[in-house]
Amino acid sequence: MTIDTSLGTTPTTGSDTAAGTSPTGSGTPLPAGRRSTRRIADWRKRVEIAVLAGPAVIVFVTFVILPVGMAAYYGFYKWQGYGPPTDFVGLQNYVIIFQDKAFQSVLMHNGFIVVMSLVLQGPIAIVLALLLNQKMHGRGLVRVLVFVPYVISEVIVGTGWSLMLQSNGAVNDLLQGMGLGGLRADWLSNPDIAIWTLLVIISWKYIGFAVILFLAGLQSIPEELFEAAAIDGASYWQIQRRITLPLLGPTIRIWAFLSIIGSLQLFDLVYIIWGQYIASTAGTSTMATYMVANGRTSGNFGFGSAVAVVMFIISLAVALIYQRFVLRRDTAGALTERKN
Amino acid sequence: MTRKIRAAAAIALIGATALVAAGCSAGSDAAGGGDGGKVTMTFWHNSTTGPGKAYWASTVKAFEKKYPDVTIKTQAIQNEDLDGKLQTALNSGDGPDIFLQRGGGKMDAMIAAGQLMDISGSISADAKQSISAGTFAGYEKDGKTYAMPGAVLPEGIWYSKDLFQKAGIEGTPTTMDELNDAITKLKASGVDPVAVGAKDAWPAAHWYYNFALRECSQKTLEGAAKSLKFDNPCWTKAGEQLEDFNKTKPFNNGFLTTAAQQGAGSSAGLLANHKAAMELMGAWDPGVIASLTPDGKPLADLGWFPFPTIDGGKGDPKSMMGGVDGNSCSAKAPKKACTDFLNFIVQKDNQEAYYKAFNAIPVNKDAQAVVDADYLKTALAAYQEAPFVSQYLDTLYGQNVGNALNTSVVDLLAGKGDAKDIVSTTNQAASKG
Repeated sequence: MTIDTSLGTTPTTGSDTAAGTSPTGSGTPLPAGRRSTRRIADWRKRVEIAVLAGPAVIVFVTFVILPVGMAAYYGFYKWQGYGPPTDFVGLQNYVIIFQDKAFQSVLMHNGFIVVMSLVLQGPIAIVLALLLNQKMHGRGLVRVLVFVPYVISEVIVGTGWSLMLQSNGAVNDLLQGMGLGGLRADWLSNPDIAIWTLLVIISWKYIGFAVILFLAGLQSIPEELFEAAAIDGASYWQIQRRITLPLLGPTIRIWAFLSIIGSLQLFDLVYIIWGQYIASTAGTSTMATYMVANGRTSGNFGFGSAVAVVMFIISLAVALIYQRFVLRRDTAGALTERKN
Repeated sequence: MTRKIRAAAAIALIGATALVAAGCSAGSDAAGGGDGGKVTMTFWHNSTTGPGKAYWASTVKAFEKKYPDVTIKTQAIQNEDLDGKLQTALNSGDGPDIFLQRGGGKMDAMIAAGQLMDISGSISADAKQSISAGTFAGYEKDGKTYAMPGAVLPEGIWYSKDLFQKAGIEGTPTTMDELNDAITKLKASGVDPVAVGAKDAWPAAHWYYNFALRECSQKTLEGAAKSLKFDNPCWTKAGEQLEDFNKTKPFNNGFLTTAAQQGAGSSAGLLANHKAAMELMGAWDPGVIASLTPDGKPLADLGWFPFPTIDGGKGDPKSMMGGVDGNSCSAKAPKKACTDFLNFIVQKDNQEAYYKAFNAIPVNKDAQAVVDADYLKTALAAYQEAPFVSQYLDTLYGQNVGNALNTSVVDLLAGKGDAKDIVSTTNQAASKG
């Protein structure tokens, strides 16, 4: 009872056909009269594209492309931010970044969060999604509850958790009250466990998003496959293993992509909980908090820009590699040239 | 039909974008204003709570009453956020007209960038006469004055007399050995001996500053402000002193994520609520503590003693860490109105009100007569006796090196680095900016 995994690409066929039928001035000759109307139609199309895409392009260039270019430029200077930069230092900022032990540990933290987010959140979210896909009482309520943390703002989540996890906070008091006083810990301020605490908070916060994605993915799997498998005598676990998981593949891969990018750029929760200064001491610093601490807070805007560039390149490289090797099949025809 | 809607949406979007762009540029024109006629100024200070905030509101109102042509828009910014916001605002050319000035390397950077107004010629005779020249000295560079001092803030250890008595400590510690003894006794009595708000980094770093003040000579401390090189062995020795002290586990539980001034769980709050017995802090602390006591009144049993002496060391045992808080005018501010305001706030009655609001020592010598809290009297006496008062090192060495120094001290306290790392991190930071 094997299912052809090529079914996994079903959701993308829509975009395939859209790409295939797009008019690109085909070679078939047209009668003269229709040619001029065709030309007017072409112009209309161009104007329409310019008008519709214009604002978005302007905003994108002004607030995304331009700042990236400016950061790259500032990154070559020692610059305190006063007046135009004058002290050109070439690649020295980049050399300092990669020699800085603090940056090396920042990379470790980011890597740890990327891997552990996938390992922790993935399986739990799949199990939750399978559970919530069953018909049962209170399903709507549980779905909402699972999704609520994702909707709450990071600042509130960070403040709330940091109050509860203080050394004299609610979590430790609760443990004490339950007779588990031995488990009391400095959840946030002990450098050995702080990053695990962060991981738990991140999982709590973002698992709802994964569950919603997976639920949507599950909905798109045709019911007949399950019926057919059941008639063939497949057990529940066999069905999940052989049908659900393979067909959920594209969703899982997209979720993993979003999770990786989010983990690489993690900033707000760490900044709220550990503040401006001590994230590196607590062992929870990320590339983004390193950038803010050594760039803005220290007033080294040139150096901070260089860190921003490094962060951009790392994120871009990871994103491209992932797209090229993992998402290849899911995005075939939509983002890349069709091979066949 | 749908096409029309799309076009309308596109036009709306373009319009909105243009508005946003226009909004960005409009802000800077509104500030400033000419010297004649109506003048509007913006004022940033760091008193976000209680009587301090009320003091600035009422002082500004009194000023506006006296100078009806001047309007001042006041904005209170949380202390830890102030320096970063201020630098960003000044860089963008959209900074406040009047703002808190801490002096040191931070002020030097602003002067170098042409952001500060030279107020030398505009200081009133009254201010010159009532504020000592030594107090002004911290705000002078190349013979020009760039800020008006408002309060002197000598540093020392603030403690709860009740908790000391309960623990059976007689007198106040004068040497490190006596301090360590007191800490042992306080632990036995069941309170946290020392509260430190390491989350904000600088309160922890102040312990290092004071050890450095004892270990290093005045020349070394001041020389490092120019060279930003920390190769004198006294810097490492100061770190080792702090390491030894840290081994006695003097600080409150979870000090790494304890803030300095916000809420009952902060280090000042722990002292205000008798959860901790001591805190090393500048003389703004009584005001901060007062705002965090259960009844919001000054802590009745608060006391003060100077940082203990150590064996050996090149610093004078009577030297102190201390800052001066004052206010600067931005180079773009309307000169007359801005300096009028600076002169106004150091007048005797305003300085007396300052003392009442902040529980801190005013710079006006005539107003110092109203200082009646004995902890401030002790601090003031020690300050006047001190042969050398060093600016807080993070301020002295500027934002970049100062921040690196602060965080490396926190690393040491958390067991993630040692005395040598403080020196190497600080040296390395100098290369980043």
